[in-house]
Amino acid sequence: MREIGIDALDDMARGAGILGTGGGGDPYVGKLLAREAIRRHGPVTVYDIDEVPADATVVPVSSMGAPTVLLEKLPGGTEELTALRALEAVLGRQATHIVPIEVGGVNSMIPIAAAAQAGLPLVDGDAMGRAFPEAQMVLPTLIGVRNTPMAVADDKGNTLVLDAVSNHWAERIARAACVQMGCQVSCADTVLRGDQLRDGLVPATLTLAEELGRAVRVARAEHADPVAAAVAVLGGVTLFSGKVVDVERRTTGGFARGRARLEGTGTLELDFQNEHLLARRDGAIVATTPDLICVLDTDSGEPVTTEAMRYGLRVTVVGAPCDPRWTTPAGLELAGPRYFGYDCDYLPLTAA
Amino acid sequence: MRAGVDVGPTNTDAAHLADDGSVLATVKVASVPGDPAAGVRAALARLPRRELTHVAVGLRATAASVVRRQGLRKVGVLRIGGAPARAVRPLSGWPPDLREAVSAGYAIVDGGGGLDPEDWAPLDRDAVARFASGVAGRAQAVAVAGLFSPLDGDQEREAAEIVRAELGDLPIALSADLGSIGLLERENATVLDAALSGVAGALADGLAATLAELCPGAAVLVTRGDGTLMSLEHLARHPGLSLGSGPASVLRGAGVLAGLGDAVVADVGARRITVGALAGGFPEEAVGGAEIGGVPVGFRVPSLIRVPVPFDPADLAEAVDRLQPGPGRLPLVVVGGGAESVPQGLHPPHGKAAGAIGAAVSPVGGQYERIVRAPDRSALAQAMEAVAEEARAAAVRAGADPRHVRILEAADTRLAYLPGPFVKLRARAAGPPSRL
Repeated sequence: MREIGIDALDDMARGAGILGTGGGGDPYVGKLLAREAIRRHGPVTVYDIDEVPADATVVPVSSMGAPTVLLEKLPGGTEELTALRALEAVLGRQATHIVPIEVGGVNSMIPIAAAAQAGLPLVDGDAMGRAFPEAQMVLPTLIGVRNTPMAVADDKGNTLVLDAVSNHWAERIARAACVQMGCQVSCADTVLRGDQLRDGLVPATLTLAEELGRAVRVARAEHADPVAAAVAVLGGVTLFSGKVVDVERRTTGGFARGRARLEGTGTLELDFQNEHLLARRDGAIVATTPDLICVLDTDSGEPVTTEAMRYGLRVTVVGAPCDPRWTTPAGLELAGPRYFGYDCDYLPLTAA
Repeated sequence: MRAGVDVGPTNTDAAHLADDGSVLATVKVASVPGDPAAGVRAALARLPRRELTHVAVGLRATAASVVRRQGLRKVGVLRIGGAPARAVRPLSGWPPDLREAVSAGYAIVDGGGGLDPEDWAPLDRDAVARFASGVAGRAQAVAVAGLFSPLDGDQEREAAEIVRAELGDLPIALSADLGSIGLLERENATVLDAALSGVAGALADGLAATLAELCPGAAVLVTRGDGTLMSLEHLARHPGLSLGSGPASVLRGAGVLAGLGDAVVADVGARRITVGALAGGFPEEAVGGAEIGGVPVGFRVPSLIRVPVPFDPADLAEAVDRLQPGPGRLPLVVVGGGAESVPQGLHPPHGKAAGAIGAAVSPVGGQYERIVRAPDRSALAQAMEAVAEEARAAAVRAGADPRHVRILEAADTRLAYLPGPFVKLRARAAGPPSRL
């Protein structure tokens, strides 16, 4: 058990941005929300997965929708609690713990704010170990945990409680509702029992985010290489370093696909949708989803999102291994390259 | 014929350019600390008297004012956005001493909009009036930022009228004009605009008076961080846009002198070498825009690496290398007073006055961005045309000649994590300065 205070948030948000693999939304706004909530309600208690009682009711709280809209329409700070209360009402029991659904991006911070407001402890872990775009792309799906009932709340006070025949269907319906509810909503879903955490979560990822953010900050302060520091914490490999010379965006077959070409010593092509998903170096695939493909600003070590990819950026592309459960056949079916419409198989990372 | 002036911390450079862009004369004088207009006067007085269509001036006064926390006005901050905008307070995350220097209190009132017309809520006029009386006597300026105001700035203008009715004629900065998406960033930028209104107003008045006397009939413009220009009226309204403008005009000037649109530029000064890169004739911009003590303010500024002087050649080589797309790809252009101390690279003639020349050759700029729902290509094209028109209008508000404004860049980015066709559109426009 430990506490997350205001001091931890900067590092954690920086690390979460890197773990967002180009997506997940900039944690900056989430950090401000978490800071404000901790300032008002005090620090948040965090438990390791094995400290949580077997009969605990652990609820992931997250925001869904467009991070770009989130930048304009800030969360009011009450939507997460509204969603949580609506979920508790249909569950017939109260949440005992809150947990992030994804550690990558803004959804690492939203649960901290929600936990502070609800006066509940947080679990150190998340259901992805990175960021993914859809609600069924979580480890709980692999162990048969349903993401419904799912509660969705908007800033106006509208609440939707959803039941669906599958985790995919819940995603489809909730995403459509999200558009009607202003393109940015808060969710509580994918409820886990305490004894399901070991199989349903990637452990200690909030700690990982904080260590990652700290390593980058310290390296910068010491005029060392922040990207190398990030690679060391991630246990990853540097795939390429160069400059973005071309970015192409198009929508084909329902997929909004982007491709960036980087030049340095050789070339690297990066395919992205909401996150960076595929990297080809000099024509050969070197990294694929579900492994983490993190694009970092070469000078600062700050993450570069898919939406921010543009000509002229100097970036280093880093590959880091995902949680091994994602590379099982069922895991790859949920979040492997073919799910995202790429005609290739998962290729494990190899040392550069 | 036109003139460019670059007021640096140590020296002020000036240049006369013919209409075809050729350099006719340059001059360097010592800057007058704390009085940029005096430096401008001294430099221009040393050049032959010629009939000028416009004079463009590069300044560092606003940046210095923020860094030193000097001359900043106390700002009352009004956010229009109701409940959804309450969780994060205005000025959150600002360095405490800067917030202390700037803050005169804030209010968050109902109103503001969303992506759809039905998302708009009426402005709580009474709450605006209460805000105004609450900051009366403390606020020397007011900043107004409304949710989704770049889509429709009416509520910000309405609120400004109410504030003016309560508090009389004080500077009121509105966020809608900045045209960027991201409420906190836009609000921070607007607060900065309001805080700098005193410095900027005095600067604009000083320059106007000096130049009316020295170059009667010439339009007067100042440089911006994105490498374009704006009028003095625009500077007085949006002084934050001038952050980063010094290096931006040096980069542009170096490119023009070397005849290159893409290059790495090293500006060798007395105390440091500033290295930046040009892409398509404009400075490559820092990711995320300007920051002040870690606070994003969104203004577009060049991405720079600074090497202290006296310098280690290895440090300079590394800085240049970091700005290259690949090993040795783009030419290096070396300018500035100390350019001789760097043997490698191109040393174009008049490189000592690159900042002044960059100011003189730059167009007046404007930009705009908007999130739209565009179900098909024709809807997207139509929306893009509307956004381009807003960017052209922004350039004209900044002082561009409406007959000659063109679009420099038009980009569409599909929003992540949303089904259906939500797209962020962004356009940049520029044109020559409007003649007086």
